[in-house]
Amino acid sequence: MLSRRKFLGLAAGSAAGGTAAWAALLRDHVEHRLAIPAPANPTTTALGGAATGGAALNDRVLVIVQMGGGNDGLNTVVPSLGAYHDARPTLALPDAALVPIDALGYALHPSLAPLRTRWNTGQIAAFHGIGFRAQSRSHFKAMDTWWAGTNGAASTTGWLGRWLDATEDDVANPLRSISLGTGAPALSGVRSVPTVVLDPAEFALRLPRGADAAAVTEAFLATSAPASPSRWLAAAQASVPSTLDAITVLRQVATSGDAASDRSTGAESDSSTNLLQSAAGIVELGVGTRVILVGMNGFDTHADQLDRHAALLADLADGITKFFDRLEASGHADRVLLLTTSEFGRRVAENSSGGFDHGLGGAQFVVGPAVHGRRVVGEPALDRLVDGDMPIGIDARSLYAVGLDWLGGPTDELLGGRFDRYGTL
Amino acid sequence: MNDREQISWLARRAAFGLTAGALDRLAPAGVDSYLDTLVRPAANGVSTSPDPAVGLTFSTDPTMRREEGLALAGRWLDHMVSTPRPLEEAMTWFWHDHFAVSLGQVKSAEPMARYLALLRTNALGNFRELVAKVSIDAAMLVFLDGATSTIGAPNENFGRELLELYTVGIGNYTEPDVRAAATALTGWVVRPREHYATTFVRSRHDPTPQSLFGRTVSDVASVVDAAVRSPACASYIARKLAVWFLGPDHDPSLHAGFAKTFVDNDLEVAPLVRAILRVGLDGRGGELVLAPVPWLIAARKALGVTLDVRVAHRYLAGAGQAPLMPPNVGGWPGPGAWLGSSSTAMRVSLASALVDQLPASSPLLRAASIGDLATLAALLGLPGAFSPATKNALAVFAATKPAGKAGAAVTAVALSSPDLLVA
Repeated sequence: MLSRRKFLGLAAGSAAGGTAAWAALLRDHVEHRLAIPAPANPTTTALGGAATGGAALNDRVLVIVQMGGGNDGLNTVVPSLGAYHDARPTLALPDAALVPIDALGYALHPSLAPLRTRWNTGQIAAFHGIGFRAQSRSHFKAMDTWWAGTNGAASTTGWLGRWLDATEDDVANPLRSISLGTGAPALSGVRSVPTVVLDPAEFALRLPRGADAAAVTEAFLATSAPASPSRWLAAAQASVPSTLDAITVLRQVATSGDAASDRSTGAESDSSTNLLQSAAGIVELGVGTRVILVGMNGFDTHADQLDRHAALLADLADGITKFFDRLEASGHADRVLLLTTSEFGRRVAENSSGGFDHGLGGAQFVVGPAVHGRRVVGEPALDRLVDGDMPIGIDARSLYAVGLDWLGGPTDELLGGRFDRYGTL
Repeated sequence: MNDREQISWLARRAAFGLTAGALDRLAPAGVDSYLDTLVRPAANGVSTSPDPAVGLTFSTDPTMRREEGLALAGRWLDHMVSTPRPLEEAMTWFWHDHFAVSLGQVKSAEPMARYLALLRTNALGNFRELVAKVSIDAAMLVFLDGATSTIGAPNENFGRELLELYTVGIGNYTEPDVRAAATALTGWVVRPREHYATTFVRSRHDPTPQSLFGRTVSDVASVVDAAVRSPACASYIARKLAVWFLGPDHDPSLHAGFAKTFVDNDLEVAPLVRAILRVGLDGRGGELVLAPVPWLIAARKALGVTLDVRVAHRYLAGAGQAPLMPPNVGGWPGPGAWLGSSSTAMRVSLASALVDQLPASSPLLRAASIGDLATLAALLGLPGAFSPATKNALAVFAATKPAGKAGAAVTAVALSSPDLLVA
C-alpha cells in the first residue's frame, strides 16, 4: 500500500509527477483502503430495478440535497385545487406562471422550469405529503427526526450513518461520506465519521510564510498518532488525517470542471449550484465516495416568501440541472441518484408577514437516470388538514428506502421495516 | 490541579485564555480571587471599557452593509482580546450563541451593535430582564419576524423559539403555548429608517388574555415571566451553561444543584456561572472542544498579535463560526462540528496567519526553534505538557530546522495541534 507520506508528498504538487500520475496513485491508494465487498444478500435484487440498473453497486453514489429551514412543498409541487387558492389569497402561485408536468393537474413552481426536461423524460419523481408522523414543528426536533430516520425513536446515529457502519470495510476511507456546506448528523454512525467541508472554495491550508508545505503537513499529520486515551482529544487527532486527505481530493475537484469557472462569475460559493458541482467532481474522481450531502439554507420563509422561495428554488433547479448535465457529459450520471429532504413543509394558510409558519407534510424529489419518474406519489390532502397543516400521507422512510436500495441495502433491515418504494426506482 | 493549573483551566474556559505573563501576575492571589474577579468585576474594582462599537458609523446604503458588519465584528473580536472583564465578554459570546440573531437576516450592523451592547450589559445579570429586553430588541424583532406579527395573524416564529430555544426547551411546551405567546407578543414594530427604533403600536396588538403555563399573559412582561417561572426554564439554562463550561461529559446529576442555585438567586446569572466554574475547578468537569472564535481569541492573547478582520472573518467563516453570522436560530452546533475537516483546516490557516505576525524576537519563536517544548507549551497557555503525539511531532519537526523564519513553522504546528483545541 502507498504510504501516507508518499501519498501526501505526491499529492502536494504537480512537480511530483503531474495530475494524471497523481490521480492514478490516488485511486490506487483508495482502492487499497476500500475494497468494499458487495452486500451478501442485497434486498434490491428482490425489487428488480436497483440491482439491474446501469452502474455496479459499489460504484453508486447517493446525493442528498437538504433544504434547511423547512421547504414549502405546496408552492414547490403545486396542486390544481380550489382549496390551495382559498388558503393562500396572496401567496398562491398564479396558474399562468406554473410549469405544467402531469395529467393529474400538478405543476412545478416557475423557478423549477429547468427540471421540466428531466421530468418529461421520466428522470424525476415527486413525493407529496411526505414526512415522519412523529415529526414536530420545531426545526431542531424535526431535523433530528429526519436525520435519525427512526420516526422519533431516540438514536445517536443517522440513517445513512447506519448504512455506512453496516457496509464499511475494516480500513475506513474518510472520503466515503462527504458533507458539503453543512454539518452531517445523517451521515454519522458509530464508526463512520463524515468528512465535513463547509466551503469547498476556501478548503485549503494556508501555511506560515516561507514554510515548506510538505514538511509542515507531515508534522501536523504526526500530531494525530499515537491516539490519546481522552475521548475528545483523540477525536481531534483523528480529524487531522481525514482533513489532509479531503483537502488533497477537493483540490483536484476545484481545479477541474466547471466549479472554478462558476465561481469566477461571482456566484455565491455556497450556492447549491457550486456545491453540487463540487459533488460532481467528487463523483468523477472515483475515490470511493458513496454518500454526499449538500446543504442549502434559507427555506424558513416566515416572511417575504414569494421572492425568497423563487430564488431558492431557482438555485435548486440550476444546481440539479448542471450537476446531471456535467455527469452525463463525463459518463458518470448512471452512477448517481439524488434525493431532496427538508425538515417539514409549511403551514397551508399564509401569515401576516407574507410568509408561512412551520407545518408538517412537504414535497420531495428523487432524481436520476435510474428513476421511474414523471409521477407525483401521494397527495397534498388539503381536505384533511391536521391543525391547519398538510397531513403526512407518505412515511419519509419510503424516500430513504429508495436511497438505500440504490446503495445496495440492506434497506429493510436498516429501516426496521418495509416501506413502499411506490415503484420509483 | 494545583493553583496555577486551576487558573489556566479557568482562563481557557471562561476568559478566552491569558496574555503572556498573566499567569505569574494572577498566581500569588490564588484561583479564588481570580474567579471572584471574573464573576464580579465591578465589586472587584474592574471598570468597564468603552462599547467596542463606539465610533463606528452606520449608513442606510445597502452596499455598505458588508463593510459595516465586518467593522463591527472586528471591533468585537479585538474587544474579546483586550477587555478587562473577560468572563463578561465570554458570556456575551454565550448569549450571542443562545439568542442567535444573524446579521445575514437583520441586514444592518446598526441594530446588531445595539443587540450586542444589550447582551454585554446583561451578560452576568438577571435572566428574566435579559429575555424581556431581547424580546423587543430591534435585531431580534427583525430576525424572528416579531416586527410583522399582528392581531389576527400572529407570526409564530419568535413565540416558538422563545419557548423552545430561549427559556424552557423542547418538550416543555405545547402548540397552544406557542400560539398564546405569539398572540400576546403582537404589536411591536421596527423602523429601519429611524435608526431601527422600536415602537409598540396598540392597534397591531391583540390584548385578548392568553393562557401560558397556567398564567394569564397579554404582553411581553407577562409572557417572559410565565416562561422563566416555568421550572423547566431554570433546568434548561443551567444545563446549557454547564455543558458550555464543563463540556458534554460531566456528571448530569450536577444539574439539579445548578438549577436550584439559579432559582434561589432569582435567576441571576453570575451565581449560576460561579457555581458551575467552582465544580469545574474541583476537577468534576470534562474535556471541552473550543469553538473557532474562543480558540482564536486565546491564540491572539497568547501570541500578543492582532489579525486583520478580513483575514479572521474569512477563515472563521470557513471554519463555520463567523461572529454575527450564526448558521440558524439554534446557534452554532455542538463540539463535534469543530472537529470537522473545515474547522481543522481553517485552524491551521489561522495559526499560520497569526504566527506570521510574530516579531523575530518573540520568545515563542525562540523556544520553538530550539525545540524547548516545555516553554512553548507554557507560552501557548497549556496548563500541562503537550500530548505524547504532539510532543514527538514537534520534536522531530524542530530537529529538521524547518525552512522559513526560525521557529515559525514549529509554532504554527503547535498552535494548530489537537492539544490546543481541547481544553
